[in-house]
Amino acid sequence: MLKTWRKYGALYLMMIPVICYFLVYGYYPLARGLQISFQDYRLIGNRPYIGFDNYGTVWHDPNFWKSLTNTLVIGGGSLVCGFLAPLIIALSLNEVLKSWFKKTAQMLLYVPHLLSWVVVGGMWIYLLSPDTGLVNLLLQRTLDIPPVHFLAESGWARVVMILVATWKDMGYNCILFLAGIVAINPSLYEAARLDGATRWQQVRYVTLPQIQSTMKVVLLLNTLGLLRIFDQVFILRNNSTAPDVDVLMYYTYQKGILDFHVGVAAAASVLVLIFTLLLTLIVRKLTRFDEV
Amino acid sequence: MNFNIPFKNSSRLSHLAESPVPVHGRQKPKASSRITLLVSLLTLGSMLLSACGSSANQSSGSNSFPANASNANGTASASNGETSSAQAADTKLRILSSNVGGKTPEEMKRFEEEIKRLTGIEVTIEKPASDYDQKVLTALGSGEKYDLIEGSDLGKLNMFIDQGVTTDLTDFVQGSKELSDPTVVPTEEWDQLKGKDGHIYAVFSKFQGGTMPIVRKDWLDKLHLQEPKTLDDYYNVLKAFAERDPDGNGKKDTYGLSTSGLYDIQGFMSAAGLKYRYVMKDGKRTIPYASDAAIPMYEWFAKLTKEGILDPNFVTNDTAKMRNLFLTDRVGMITYWDAWVGMLNNTRQEEDPNTSFQAEAVAGAEGPDGKIMLRRGDPDYWMVPANAEHVEAAEKFLEFWHSEPGIILGSLGIEGEDYTKDNGTYTLTETGKEHGMDHGVPFWYNENVKAPFDKLPGVQAAQDLVKQYATLELSLPEWSDAEKIVTNYALKAMSGSMPAADAVKQMQKELKAANLIDE
Repeated sequence: MLKTWRKYGALYLMMIPVICYFLVYGYYPLARGLQISFQDYRLIGNRPYIGFDNYGTVWHDPNFWKSLTNTLVIGGGSLVCGFLAPLIIALSLNEVLKSWFKKTAQMLLYVPHLLSWVVVGGMWIYLLSPDTGLVNLLLQRTLDIPPVHFLAESGWARVVMILVATWKDMGYNCILFLAGIVAINPSLYEAARLDGATRWQQVRYVTLPQIQSTMKVVLLLNTLGLLRIFDQVFILRNNSTAPDVDVLMYYTYQKGILDFHVGVAAAASVLVLIFTLLLTLIVRKLTRFDEV
Repeated sequence: MNFNIPFKNSSRLSHLAESPVPVHGRQKPKASSRITLLVSLLTLGSMLLSACGSSANQSSGSNSFPANASNANGTASASNGETSSAQAADTKLRILSSNVGGKTPEEMKRFEEEIKRLTGIEVTIEKPASDYDQKVLTALGSGEKYDLIEGSDLGKLNMFIDQGVTTDLTDFVQGSKELSDPTVVPTEEWDQLKGKDGHIYAVFSKFQGGTMPIVRKDWLDKLHLQEPKTLDDYYNVLKAFAERDPDGNGKKDTYGLSTSGLYDIQGFMSAAGLKYRYVMKDGKRTIPYASDAAIPMYEWFAKLTKEGILDPNFVTNDTAKMRNLFLTDRVGMITYWDAWVGMLNNTRQEEDPNTSFQAEAVAGAEGPDGKIMLRRGDPDYWMVPANAEHVEAAEKFLEFWHSEPGIILGSLGIEGEDYTKDNGTYTLTETGKEHGMDHGVPFWYNENVKAPFDKLPGVQAAQDLVKQYATLELSLPEWSDAEKIVTNYALKAMSGSMPAADAVKQMQKELKAANLIDE
């Protein structure tokens, strides 16, 4: 013990700020949130403990369940599209021989990931506008389709959320997949070619199995964020589509920040945490993540 | 109006408490001494920094401004040299504000110094750049102590009262020579700031106007149209704006009307005698916008949408986009605040002094009984939090804020920076012109204080309409839930994506199911 301390003492000291950071900004708020969820929280004055009343309020609130449904639909759609789209693009880019094209495509795909949702949201609100938006102009001029108010019609609202989210983060996930593909041993392709494998068969029997571990990591990371969608909805929602797109984090924001029901918001947050934990465990089990 | 001023906050240092680390063996003294040294260094550093902070505060507290306090009305008295230490502590004030103060961090500092010069109170004003409501909530929830917090939403004030956040100011207001004077604040106005118990929990920070349709008067004249009075008049005017090329560019690129969601269509709903938010009828909660009487009104809007008269982006517009459409000759009518009539005119005139652009407020559409209903905006107010440390200073400041020097400071700004005064004549500096005579108080209640400058073009007429027709809305705590349902279906009906009758039926069904209306 002492020997270890002597040898690695400096490293342990270096860890102190990191541990402090997580204790102060990670676990303390978590513990406080849990405590507040059992309180009749007033901004000033007494905050008596009321047992599971806040949880009862959330549980019996139809808006909470509607928000959960919206979250699962939008988050689930983003999870599937956000997984498949970059995978397909990464596989396609891997087949491109011109390196300048590959690099340019990668860069262009990655740029939206660097932009904040405020910028991306504003941009898409403009692009999808029914009178001056590029999307509607193209639809009108090429297919003679009358203007569609994508961000105001219930039927389109969720689809737009999923597609825009996929577009924004496609580049990031694509780079992860490409990194996995680059790490594949070239002799495997050589062996496949000697066995007479076509390009598609090389992808099917060499590339995909070899990047399985990367795919599992990407899927699990995206699952962790599934119930935490907020910025995108905050920017792109409007009162006309609110019932179809208001997600769990928006519900928490509304209860806590807009309505000042901090106890109820804390209870909803704890439930989101539990749901995320369950979801992650399910995905881990289904993907056999431990075998990575 | 929010100005993007970087948030200025006082930094605080916290001391790290460390428990002794158990170590054994020969190395104990060495390891222990290292840790002790590290902790000592950290502590010493913290203390030094804290000391620097205190010394900075002290020096700023003892600046060259005299602690004098007399203003024109003699209301805010100053601390003099005999001030005891307890009294000295009470001449400090910490304010959280969304609008009041300087436009830049530098000007904010001078603003604070100006308050000290005028009142003797050492003020710190914190003005978050954005997310003001969140800042208020987190500050209160985390136990931060402010002496005054600015608010602008009566629904939120009621929540603050319910949660014990606000101090009861009834005795102070009624006992204050300044604030109890009906010429300073009309007596009936105080009803806005009363809680359910009839006590006053806040003090106005400025006079808040109302909203109404704002029309391009020059377009009306160009197309030889009269100001609309009835809903049919409105339809004809808006149709002409959309179809008769009022901007004269030979293209059909204008809309008759633009709004920002459901935000203030009150001037049109007035035609059916419908008031926004809740209306109590025989002790029962009703929402007129969710009543059958609203169906023809939503159909009227749907007709405007179908005929390309209403800007199709009205569902996703924010108010800035709506104003920009108006300023860039894309739309002939919007619905917005009285003060903005002047600002819109001023903006275009500053761009082009020869412009024909003329914005003018119009009264809403007449109801069946000839009555017009406009919307009075929720007032901006100051509240004293229950945990305030300097209540007396806060009260002194509130009296000052409604006196002439306070009003001049809140409107024109800082003497020597925003304006100069020579023999009672005020002259705005270039900085003052840029700041638009608004440092939190563009308009005020106090009838004894005459405005040094004329109002911007069109404002007075708009304010006259507010005084004549606008009334406050009833905001019950459950309104935020009800509003989601009402706006959702109203927007669907107005944009024509759902028949108005179905939308209202669905609205009523959901409001009743959620126990948000009684009738």
